[in-house]
Amino acid sequence: MQIFIILGIPIFLSLGAFIFGKKRFFGIINCSGYLAILCCSLILFKETVFTGKTKEFFGFIYLDALSAFFILVISVVAFAAALYSIGYIRKDIQRGVITESKARVYYLFFNLFCLSMFFVPALDNLGMLWVAVEMTTLISAFLVGFYNSKESVEAAWKYIIICSVGIIFALLGTILFSYAFSISGLTKSLNWSEITPVAHILDKNILKVAFIFILVGYGTKAGLAPMHTWLPDAHSQAVAPISALLSGVLLKTAIYAILRFGIIIIKSVGFAYFAHLMILFGAISLVISSGFILVQKDLKRLLAYSSIEHIGIIAIGFGLGSPLAIAGALLHIFNHAVTKSLMFFGAGNIVSAYKKHNMHAIRGVIKALPFTGMMLLLGCFALTGFPPFSIFISEIMIIIAAFTNGAYFIGALLLLLLAVIFGAFIYHFGRMLFGNLPKSMSAAGEPFSGKLAFLFLLFLICALGISLPFMNKDTLWIFQQLLHG
Amino acid sequence: MQGIILFAVLASTYLMLIAKRMPALIRSFRYQSFCLFLATLLIALSERQLDLYIISGLLFILKVLLIPQLLYRILRRTNTKEDLGLFINPQLSLLLALVFSYLSWIFAAHLVTPVKEIQISILAVTFFIILAGIFLMIFRMTALAQITGLLVMENGLFLLASAVSGGMPFFVEIAIFFDVFMSVLIMGFFVYKISKLFTHIDVNKLSRLRG
Repeated sequence: MQIFIILGIPIFLSLGAFIFGKKRFFGIINCSGYLAILCCSLILFKETVFTGKTKEFFGFIYLDALSAFFILVISVVAFAAALYSIGYIRKDIQRGVITESKARVYYLFFNLFCLSMFFVPALDNLGMLWVAVEMTTLISAFLVGFYNSKESVEAAWKYIIICSVGIIFALLGTILFSYAFSISGLTKSLNWSEITPVAHILDKNILKVAFIFILVGYGTKAGLAPMHTWLPDAHSQAVAPISALLSGVLLKTAIYAILRFGIIIIKSVGFAYFAHLMILFGAISLVISSGFILVQKDLKRLLAYSSIEHIGIIAIGFGLGSPLAIAGALLHIFNHAVTKSLMFFGAGNIVSAYKKHNMHAIRGVIKALPFTGMMLLLGCFALTGFPPFSIFISEIMIIIAAFTNGAYFIGALLLLLLAVIFGAFIYHFGRMLFGNLPKSMSAAGEPFSGKLAFLFLLFLICALGISLPFMNKDTLWIFQQLLHG
Repeated sequence: MQGIILFAVLASTYLMLIAKRMPALIRSFRYQSFCLFLATLLIALSERQLDLYIISGLLFILKVLLIPQLLYRILRRTNTKEDLGLFINPQLSLLLALVFSYLSWIFAAHLVTPVKEIQISILAVTFFIILAGIFLMIFRMTALAQITGLLVMENGLFLLASAVSGGMPFFVEIAIFFDVFMSVLIMGFFVYKISKLFTHIDVNKLSRLRG
């Protein structure tokens, strides 16, 4: 039942944005809507994960623990982004960067974007899943090109073209899956819940080819290297709260799609095939992103490449496949989503105060924006995997799993590259946060709603870093079952 | 009959690859879509299913009438040159197209184990169309040609879906149509924006974002 509230609220909010979007109070209404969604998804999470039950509605919506988990991640980041948007959009209007009617457009697309993302984990039909993922691209392209500058329109164009081509490959893969299903002599269907139980009788050859297309297709959307080229452009040009949504959850919805097909592949072809491909793409992403992080000059692009790195870690986690690694990868999805959102909010505040992206020209953030500077300092340590924060836990789980599985090379590669990235981040952020304030700038106040968003995310980062409330032996096995059945 | 339509699809794709100017490309795209429409109409006539009639009707309205018209309109409104900005000249493109056809034949023959001649030819043609779409997107430098390339790939997938698995489920097919139409509208919108901001639609010159 909760799922209908989760899907319904964004529809009403987008209608509301159409009518009241120009009014100042709409930001608050928007935010409270997402608070309600967050509560619903928590209830949904509790109902499906702890009991292992699945829910179906009209043969159209299918929810199990995996979907509930992804819906929870989306709703957490969407709530934080809605909270942060209140202050951010108002400030943009005050500074004259956008007009009030543009704010209406922003809220309209914000809600449509969230709606399309909520649809992805809720759908049963693999064809509709494809349509939902494509919809997320089409809608968010407007939010990437929102500022109408040359750079942002170029980024939006690259984003829409590269992702559309990528996703066409995913459709090709989906069609081949349905082909494999149709020649097995069963009734025609594309429903995941109907394909999975009979996965072992499907034609292995076709499934193997199909999964490559799926991985390339949805991998483009997930930002796996070498199909990642749209990602730094789009993330760096989008409105700050949207960057957080793109990096925090849009990439994860594509990972979700890969996992759904992966489960079919594991049941039919065996785990090794899935594992090798995931680890391969994950390792390439890690290597490429660490190089770009070292030499990066642009603040938001730095964070975008860091997203590629974390997607790589997640892919490796799923590829390793032991219960510990899968739990680590799922946890990492959540941790990366909240931490990266915090970083993008901080970067948004810096960019709007300094009016530039170039890290070499930004100095003394702690003096100019004391609160944001502090949060970014903590976030920087959290993102690079420093102990009291949550990313440390999920990364160490994946690394331990790599060594206990005997994948020594992967474990060593992870440790080495994480150390390199840690160094690069501390170097870049150290220079930016400290140092002397440029003469033309002075310390400025920050909107209350923005601060609240930071505190909400920081709370989640610290809480999951200190204790793992949901993690015991039973839940570990649930995670294991998700992939291996 | 199937063979003739397949051949017509193939021929129209070749026409697209050697087209030098935008109107020619759009015209060939229209031919290709029309062939697809004939193919689905034939299947619909033989199977007598309402779903298939609706799908072929939608195909005709969207891909033969509306989308090419929209592309022409964008072309006129953006006031840019009609050249496609070829990276590879028509002769070489034609040679590459022959190579692509051969490769997709081999791939199709590899994929279908119980050898059925017509199935393999359909698969080979669809893979060729998809490759041709990618080729158009990579080696033609205007934004409009890239949109057309994407549509060509989509056409290939449509043919594949209706050939190998008897089409996607009905409502998925409708949703995909809707999706394709939306994406053309939105991409067209961005082409307007690019032509306004940059005074050209040559995507090769979009290089402000690097690294």
